[in-house]
Amino acid sequence: MADIATTAPRKIIKGIDLKYQPGFSQITWFCIVVLYAPIAVLVLFSFNENRSVTVWTQFSLDWYAKAWENEGIQHAALVSLEVAFVAMVISTILATMAALVTTRTPPYRGMNIAVAVINQPLMVPEVVTAVATLIFFAIIKQATGISGIGYLIAAHTAFCIPFAYMPIRARLEDMDLSLEQAAADLYAPPFKVFRRVTLPLLMPGILAGAMLAFIVSLDDVIITLFVAGPGETTLPLYILGQIRRGVTPEINAVSTVFLGISVILVTFIFLFGKDKK
Amino acid sequence: MKSKIFMMIMAMSLTFTVGTVSAAGDLHIYNWGNYTNPEMIEKFEKMHGVKVTLDGYDSNETMLAKVEQGGSGYDIVVPGDYMIAIMVKKGLLERVEPNKMSNFKNVDPKWVDVYWDEGRNYSIPYQWGTTNFTVDSTVYKGDVDTLALLFDPPAELKGRINMLKDMNDVINAGLRYLTYPRCNANKAQLKELNTMLVKAKANWRTMDYSVIEKLTSKDVDLSQSWNGAAMRARKDRPELVYSYPKEGFTGWMDNVAVLKGAPNLENAKLFINFMMTPEAAGMTSNLASYANGILGSEKYMREELTTAPEIVMPAGAPAPEFVPPCAQEVTDLYSKIWTNLNK
Repeated sequence: MADIATTAPRKIIKGIDLKYQPGFSQITWFCIVVLYAPIAVLVLFSFNENRSVTVWTQFSLDWYAKAWENEGIQHAALVSLEVAFVAMVISTILATMAALVTTRTPPYRGMNIAVAVINQPLMVPEVVTAVATLIFFAIIKQATGISGIGYLIAAHTAFCIPFAYMPIRARLEDMDLSLEQAAADLYAPPFKVFRRVTLPLLMPGILAGAMLAFIVSLDDVIITLFVAGPGETTLPLYILGQIRRGVTPEINAVSTVFLGISVILVTFIFLFGKDKK
Repeated sequence: MKSKIFMMIMAMSLTFTVGTVSAAGDLHIYNWGNYTNPEMIEKFEKMHGVKVTLDGYDSNETMLAKVEQGGSGYDIVVPGDYMIAIMVKKGLLERVEPNKMSNFKNVDPKWVDVYWDEGRNYSIPYQWGTTNFTVDSTVYKGDVDTLALLFDPPAELKGRINMLKDMNDVINAGLRYLTYPRCNANKAQLKELNTMLVKAKANWRTMDYSVIEKLTSKDVDLSQSWNGAAMRARKDRPELVYSYPKEGFTGWMDNVAVLKGAPNLENAKLFINFMMTPEAAGMTSNLASYANGILGSEKYMREELTTAPEIVMPAGAPAPEFVPPCAQEVTDLYSKIWTNLNK
């Protein structure tokens, strides 16, 4: 994964390069359509006038108004945003520290294991993490009697860390070490070097990592399903709970709004990621 | 400046951690999604000064996985019939004895001695229904009350049938059609069932839970379905008729119960008593569109619910059969048949 940011531009060799093979653009378009057509239908039917999610009658914004007034949706959306925000802040701080330690030091024994542990949520199937977390928290709750949304936030922070870690580490490896060395040469103590030189240069990576962590936390279903306590239903959980008894287009409306938020955030990540070195 | 912001954020997140300290006036309900009438909850809140939180699950099994470990924080759950039996066996339910509460006289006597809770020591009826099939009477004009329409359909229904993607619903219907007992471990009979199902599958179009959408979009003309879904589909397609096969059919019932170790036990008991009032039951039926099992609730229910043939069983129909969970070896055999069928 460390190689992503450091590959030199490839030379295009016509005839062997995949992009110029016959049928490539057709296959690409086919894949894009298969992936995004269901989402397009979802968005389209959020503007449908009647209750059905298959038969189109008329354009209407009623469902957005209904979703706005639905207390269950409001509460779930607030919980989602609150958890995502706090998890984003804490996991980005921890991920920054982790990235600095794993790139700015000479390789030490066990560094690879440390990186693997940081990235564990990416490698272990999510449901395994979810059940293990549930059991772990149940033991703590019964021993101490403390309950509350802190457990959910802790679980989200844990799996958001690798998502924040990746862009920050990529950015660190891209950065020119000579600027930090120059600052050190000019008698700046290490913390000042960090605060005045490294951090500003790192900011695009940190922002990208933070936004990625935010989105990932907002979208999470499986871990939240097992760990959330009473009153801690997030929006994806709310939608999942509606499925058995019939989904109304309010869900389409809410999904479209969240899709819009994700698209905007990912666009920002993309723009920040292209920042000059 | 940056460290000040940092401190503020840390302080904010710590207040979230302290979270809900268990107050005397709380109740945490864990029910199926979109299955609890919000007005009914408001009524309960006003009556007893209790603050209610409501969370939703999508299946009995998810709910069991969450509460099994203990410390889930929920007081009330609403499991299905077979799940109550499982939870009682695992010691997960509090023996609150609704049969001693003041409103118990409202519970319909035929729902008191049920296999999952004899005498009602742990739970009370919430909603109940049947699982059959519904068919367009303009496409098929004959007698609808027979399972032959699912397994040996006439020409006009071939390829226009949807079955539920539920192992128990499909296999039990098949066993009833062949007049074999449920929870069947007889290998010869199961082999015959397997052959019959595979042959019948050629006449089915799909196996899917989204029954209402399939019927209203005219994708299929006959679909296995729960009675409430059939009633809702009939609103958009009035020619649909719900069948009560003479061979027998499955009944299901969701029940309100209290978890062992519930943080707000007294409020949970108040809620159970409240749910046995005809008015609360009527409000639930109005939202969920099923029958409830509490006497006297008809005057609080919507007109259509008291007259719809899906909700009110016609006089000649056989009694619904509530199938208890089968032994593990039977479930394993069923799984083999189901996997083979889904190939």
